Amino acid sequence: MYLECHNLNFTYPGNTTAVINNLSFSMKDPGFNALFGPSGVGKTSLAKMIANAKFRSDGDITTGNIDTILYSYNLERLPGWSSTGNHLDKVTAPEKQSLKEQLTGIFELNDVLGSRFSQLSMGQQNRINLIRYLLQEFDLLIMDESLANVDEKLRETIILAIKEVFSDKMFLYISHNLLEVSKFCSQILVFRKSSENKNSFVIEGQDCKKGYSLDKKQLDATMLEIMNAF
Amino acid sequence: MLFRRIYQFLIVYSVAIAFLWMIKMGLSLSDYVIPGFSLVVETAGQVFKEYFFDVINTLSVAVLGQALSIVLAFTVGISGRKSSWIGSFIKVTAYNIQAYPIVALAPIIFILLGDGFIPRLMIASMICYFPLLLSVLGIMATPVENIEHFYIVTGRMRWQLEVKIRAFENLSKLTTVISGSATLAMAGTIVGEFIAANAGIGYSIRIALYQSDLAKILVALFMIGIIISIYQGILETLGEQMKSKWSISNGGEVL
Repeated sequence: MYLECHNLNFTYPGNTTAVINNLSFSMKDPGFNALFGPSGVGKTSLAKMIANAKFRSDGDITTGNIDTILYSYNLERLPGWSSTGNHLDKVTAPEKQSLKEQLTGIFELNDVLGSRFSQLSMGQQNRINLIRYLLQEFDLLIMDESLANVDEKLRETIILAIKEVFSDKMFLYISHNLLEVSKFCSQILVFRKSSENKNSFVIEGQDCKKGYSLDKKQLDATMLEIMNAF
Repeated sequence: MLFRRIYQFLIVYSVAIAFLWMIKMGLSLSDYVIPGFSLVVETAGQVFKEYFFDVINTLSVAVLGQALSIVLAFTVGISGRKSSWIGSFIKVTAYNIQAYPIVALAPIIFILLGDGFIPRLMIASMICYFPLLLSVLGIMATPVENIEHFYIVTGRMRWQLEVKIRAFENLSKLTTVISGSATLAMAGTIVGEFIAANAGIGYSIRIALYQSDLAKILVALFMIGIIISIYQGILETLGEQMKSKWSISNGGEVL
């Protein structure tokens, strides 16, 4: 399983400055990877290009053993005409019912399945949205700030559970949380502003898994490396 | 909602009548030009029953015409929501026809079909159809991206679901447009009756006009106003009920 980008460029229509300029990187094997960088450097644009074939040119993004790519983001909503539990049921295949129950337990959402989406807090809304993506068939799931507004402790629980339950899938996690990305991600693509004309590159993260013991020195080194990459 | 509509109409009607009587007093006009309070009350006593049934007759045509135009507007609006050439054609046609005063076509309909139920129904439908169509087209052609994204990327999007999402997200706009179109349908029917029909309150107003009987016209306007206010109030209440039924969880707690 791999994802490779070769000399990728992207400019918004009507704009002269490229958001993504000559970007090349590769990520291999299943795991929890990240796109990291300041706002406006092109993380979401890259994610949309990866997820949507119509934004790509021939050969600039290649994948191996990745057939289905899904892109989820934190402002998504569920329709308001019935409860979130009903919506989850409708988009869950019968063979994934037990996985749904497992995930709603881990994501601490069992108490709100009878409520409408608009009645949930923002963190609950993001969690319910992420669950419905995890219940679909996919090889690569892009999570664009999908855990925004979720408290730190629960976010850690969720990330560790995703890494354990979906160990054969690839994830691209977009987040602005340096500590979280350094701690849990395997490969981190650090973006630089295209105006600075420096290449973006991939840094190895700590890739902590369930029951991990953290090497703080290593973590500090990763965080420093990411910060110096800006 | 219902009572608010009636109060609003009574206030507007009272102000208008008071203005007329101020003119009557200021210019010392006779009852023949502007009838006084007692003459209006007396006329109301004579024609109330007849005019009530006339307004109900007109309203039934208007309701039927409005229902017809709602069905048509939704059918065409849903078919034309895609940015295909058919969609673009429907949008451009609707915008252009909307710019033309449809009521001016009424004489043609009466010439071709004579005066009766069908021409009145057609005029009522035509007058409220195009504004409805433009609203429905606007709503149905605008994606609700943050809801639709999931269904599109997972291959679950069907046209029925797309329409349901867009209608639900714009329920307030739709109910406002539908209740607003009731006035248009009523106006269309009255204009149709006024031109050439043989029944309805528009027909009665035409007779009163030939008799130069302003008292009868004032009574007719009062009847029309009260009944259209009740009808619009009912539509708005139904819209509110539908919205609350769709959007508030039964037994779900607010978190």
